[in-house]
Amino acid sequence: MRMRVTQSQQKSRSANMAFTLYALIQTAILFTNAIAVLHEERFLSKIGWGADQGIGGFGDEPGIKAQLLNLIRSVRTVMRVPLIIVNSVCIVLLLLFG
Amino acid sequence: MDYSNQSGFRQRKLQPKVRMRGSAVDSGEPSQLFDDTSAGHNAGHSGVDKGPMVYAGQSLLSDPVSNLAMAYGSSLASQGKEMMDKNLDRFIPISKLKYYFAVDTVYVGKKLGLLVFPYMHENWEVSYQQDTPVAPRFDVNAPDLYIPAMAFITYILVAGLALGTQNRFSPEILGMQASSALVWLIIEVLAVLLSLYLVTVNTDLTTIDLVAFSGYKYVGMIVGVLAGLLFGKMGYYLTLLWCCASIFVFMIRTLRLKILSEAAAEGVLVRGAKNQLRMYLTMAIAAAQPVFMYWLTFHLVR
Repeated sequence: MRMRVTQSQQKSRSANMAFTLYALIQTAILFTNAIAVLHEERFLSKIGWGADQGIGGFGDEPGIKAQLLNLIRSVRTVMRVPLIIVNSVCIVLLLLFG
Repeated sequence: MDYSNQSGFRQRKLQPKVRMRGSAVDSGEPSQLFDDTSAGHNAGHSGVDKGPMVYAGQSLLSDPVSNLAMAYGSSLASQGKEMMDKNLDRFIPISKLKYYFAVDTVYVGKKLGLLVFPYMHENWEVSYQQDTPVAPRFDVNAPDLYIPAMAFITYILVAGLALGTQNRFSPEILGMQASSALVWLIIEVLAVLLSLYLVTVNTDLTTIDLVAFSGYKYVGMIVGVLAGLLFGKMGYYLTLLWCCASIFVFMIRTLRLKILSEAAAEGVLVRGAKNQLRMYLTMAIAAAQPVFMYWLTFHLVR
C-alpha cells in the first residue's frame, strides 16, 4: 500500500517536471487557435487593435504595438486553412484514441 | 545463336537446365545470355565442380531481366536519394549545419574555458571572411552546435546518474528528462525569436545561432550537478552560482555585439528608447539562462 502511494507520488512529481513534446504540440495548437479566434470587427477594433489602427505612419520604425498587431493579423491570415486541417485531424484522433 | 546453343549444350551437362530457364524467361533478348556464357564456357574448362557455381553466378548476372531490374532499381534508389536530399534541404539546411560542426579540439577547449570563466577574454567580435562568418575552428567567438549537442546528451546521462544515486531511476525517466529539456529549449528559442521580432532588431542572428546560445547553458548545468553529486547540496549551490554568473556575463558580452547598435556596443551610453529596449532585451535573454539552469537541475540534487 505504502509503496504504491510513494510510487504514485514520485510519478506525479516527475509528471509535474516532465513536459513532453506532445504537450508542446498541444500548447502550440491551442495558442494558434486562440489567436485565430479573435474577431476583427467585433473585438479587435473595439479595443483599438484593428488591422488598420496599428500602422502609425511610415516613420523610421514600427513600435511594439504595430509589430504585435501585424503578427496577429498575419497569423490569422496564414494559419486559417492549416488550422482547419490540424483541428480536424486532432478531433478525429481524440475521438478514436481518447 | 543456335550454333552457340548447340556448342554449350555439348560442352556441359548442367548447362541445359540453366540455359533453358534463361531462354524460357526471355526469348526476346537472347544475345546477352549467350555472350556471357562464352566466358563461363572458358572457366568451365578448368574444373567441372567449379563450373556449375561459376556458371550459376554468371547466369544471375548475365540474365538480362535481372540486369535490367538491377539497373532500374539502382537508378530509382539514386533518384529517391536525390529527391530526399532536395526536400530535406528545404526544411533542415544541411549545408548550413555543417558550418556549425566544423570544430576542433583547441576550439572546444577554449570555448569550454570561456563558458566557465569569461572574465579575462577581451575581444568578443566574430571575425568575418568576405561577408561570411569564419568557421568556429578559426575563431573562438563563433557559435557552434557541437558543444550544445554534446552537452545536452551529457546532461541527460548525468541526470540519469544523479537519479540513480537516489534510487529514483527508471529507464522512462531518461526519456522524460530528454523530452522535457528539449521542450524547454524549443520554448526558449521561440520566445527569443518572438521578442527579437517585436523589437525589430536588425541582426544576423539565425535560428541556429540562438539554438547554439541556448545550448551553452547545459555545460554549466552539468558542472553544477556533478559538483552536487560529489560535494552535496552546498557544492551544488556554490558551483551553480558560479556557472550562472559566468553564463550571464558570457551571454551579455556575446549578444551585446549582435543585438545592440554599433555605438552602444562599444560601451558608449547611447540614450534612446530603441537602444534601451534592446539593452533590456539582452539582459532579459541573459537572465533567463540562470533561471533555466536552476529549474532544470534542482530536482536532481536532493
